[in-house]
Amino acid sequence: MLSYTIRRLMILVPMLIIISFFIYGGLELMPGDAVSYMINPEAAAELSPEKLDALRDSLGLNDPFIVRYAIWFKGVLKGDFGYSLSSGVPIRDIVFDRLPATLELSFIALILSSLFGSLLGFLSAIRKGSIADHSLTVIGMIGVSIPQFFFGLVAILIFALKLHWLPVGGRLMPEYVTYWDRFPHLVMPSLVLAATMTAGVMRYSRSSMLDSLNKDYIKTARSKGLPEWRVNLVHGFRVALTPVVVLVGFRLPTLIGGAVVIEQIFQWPGIGNEFITAVRGQNFPLVMMIALFSVTAVLIASFLVDLLTAVLDPRVKLS
Amino acid sequence: MDKDTIIEVKNLKTFFYTNQRCNKAINGVSFSVKRGKTLCIVGESGCGKSVTASSIMGLLPKLSRIEEGEINYYSEKHGKLRIDQLEQNGPTMRTIRGGEIAMIFQDPMTALNPVFTVGGQIGENLKYHTKMTARKIRKKTVDLLSDMGIPAPEQRAKEYPHQFSGGMRQRAMIAMAMSCHPRVLIADEPTTALDVTIQAQIFELMETLKKDYGTAIMLITHDMGVVTELADDVAVMYMGNIVESGTVEDVLRKPAHPYTRALLSSIPVLGKGKQQELEPIKGSTPDPYDRPVGCQFQPRCDFATDKCGTAPVEESCGDTHSVMCWHYREVMNHEGK
Repeated sequence: MLSYTIRRLMILVPMLIIISFFIYGGLELMPGDAVSYMINPEAAAELSPEKLDALRDSLGLNDPFIVRYAIWFKGVLKGDFGYSLSSGVPIRDIVFDRLPATLELSFIALILSSLFGSLLGFLSAIRKGSIADHSLTVIGMIGVSIPQFFFGLVAILIFALKLHWLPVGGRLMPEYVTYWDRFPHLVMPSLVLAATMTAGVMRYSRSSMLDSLNKDYIKTARSKGLPEWRVNLVHGFRVALTPVVVLVGFRLPTLIGGAVVIEQIFQWPGIGNEFITAVRGQNFPLVMMIALFSVTAVLIASFLVDLLTAVLDPRVKLS
Repeated sequence: MDKDTIIEVKNLKTFFYTNQRCNKAINGVSFSVKRGKTLCIVGESGCGKSVTASSIMGLLPKLSRIEEGEINYYSEKHGKLRIDQLEQNGPTMRTIRGGEIAMIFQDPMTALNPVFTVGGQIGENLKYHTKMTARKIRKKTVDLLSDMGIPAPEQRAKEYPHQFSGGMRQRAMIAMAMSCHPRVLIADEPTTALDVTIQAQIFELMETLKKDYGTAIMLITHDMGVVTELADDVAVMYMGNIVESGTVEDVLRKPAHPYTRALLSSIPVLGKGKQQELEPIKGSTPDPYDRPVGCQFQPRCDFATDKCGTAPVEESCGDTHSVMCWHYREVMNHEGK
């Protein structure tokens, strides 16, 4: 197990290098560069091409692709992520500023959706064909099919504009207020995000549980005279759990990468929101770093999922 | 009423309901399981063997129902019990199931839960049927595995099913079934998924258990060789009926039903070489939703006459031998056909 862990972590390094290369290369393909962003078009039109070129030269933009990549990557390794083109703020500060907001939102949603999703899914599998099962299936279908933005907007309309129970959006800075002051701002975005995710987890865990309950070992368990709860919750549930854990595990990185839609709708100052702004403004360094962070999160999550599967399922051997 | 009788099934009818159609999976079956004896139930796939077992175990699926008849279980503790009237997952049925009537299944590869240790799964049975402490349960589990001829039982008890071979898993299943010394062991084609040498070992093991504990065995199989080896009594099933039953001598030496006869002559004999002619039973099993009128075997039967249009009744054709055929005398006297 330990040697496997070490080996997997070592594979992460070359993978990250390759991926970072592709991210850098991909952004290179976009029209325009840092200079075209820094100088407004009218001013740029007045500057002579020689001057612009001199400016590019001084910024190192005329260097070959590989050289520029190497310089950037060296900086990343040193923890120097570069500066945001729009504000001049170090990217590291931006990320550390925005990350807590995203984590706060997404972990609440992840925990709620995993708990309720799997619970409801397993229940509806055990009571297959009952009214509860049918209504949960319908609710699940609705939850999966309705887009988050619509769901979010309806929630704002009802709970913020009509009922005035909750604020429309935004997030209060933790430095100035107590947690309970901030809490109402968190309720709607996290619940809307959790609700849409719950639907997915629920459908998945229902089918996983149904699958497990149809297996022969369930009949064996019954033939031993075990009470029904033990047959379902111990023998059925334990096997059905593994795929659900895998699903939830693979959701981790998407949450860190930002629940983009939800953050936009509720004006939540998280990574996802920042990412959208950066892409729109051709803020290359910031886009690259956020993409790189997301990729790292994906790699780490898939590694965690592998470890967890091995812990949950004795048939899986790590080697 | 024989005092050795443990389970007595009388005119059992179990029907399955799907899409508003009714499959009369078992249509009036009677037999009894006796202490220290092996009853073999033989028949082709879909004839109702497994449904019979499930009816006794109270493990029928939701879409099926016992429509008629009785399953009497003569319990040491409670006296006579009507299993068919007990709640399938009720407390009484649960004490009987696994504790007094145990079952092993066809495919040991899938019958054990992959995520629990073998020892744990055997111990679970003890936990629910005895008052043993956790430590005693662990010790007993190891003893059981070693009784089943599993080497290094202490190590093996901690292993998972996927670390066991097919034969080992079936032994573990038997250990699980035998853990509470049940009075009846129902084995539903226990060796179909295993190779022949392992088959022999498993049967040997079951024989020993029968001798040592006086366990009654109800063995479901479609292998006539197995019947010859193990059975004391045989019941031949066809389309939900027991068409012939008796001691193994009766049924195999003097088959009285055309189906039994046909079954026996369709078996290849070792040593006769590849020139021997096998006689398959002509036609195929009828659609359970579109059954023939009268005798169910009539369309495939060499002895069929107009009389077979009405369902035959069970008739005795010897002290211990009974058959459900209008023409059993002809069948019994008909040599060399």
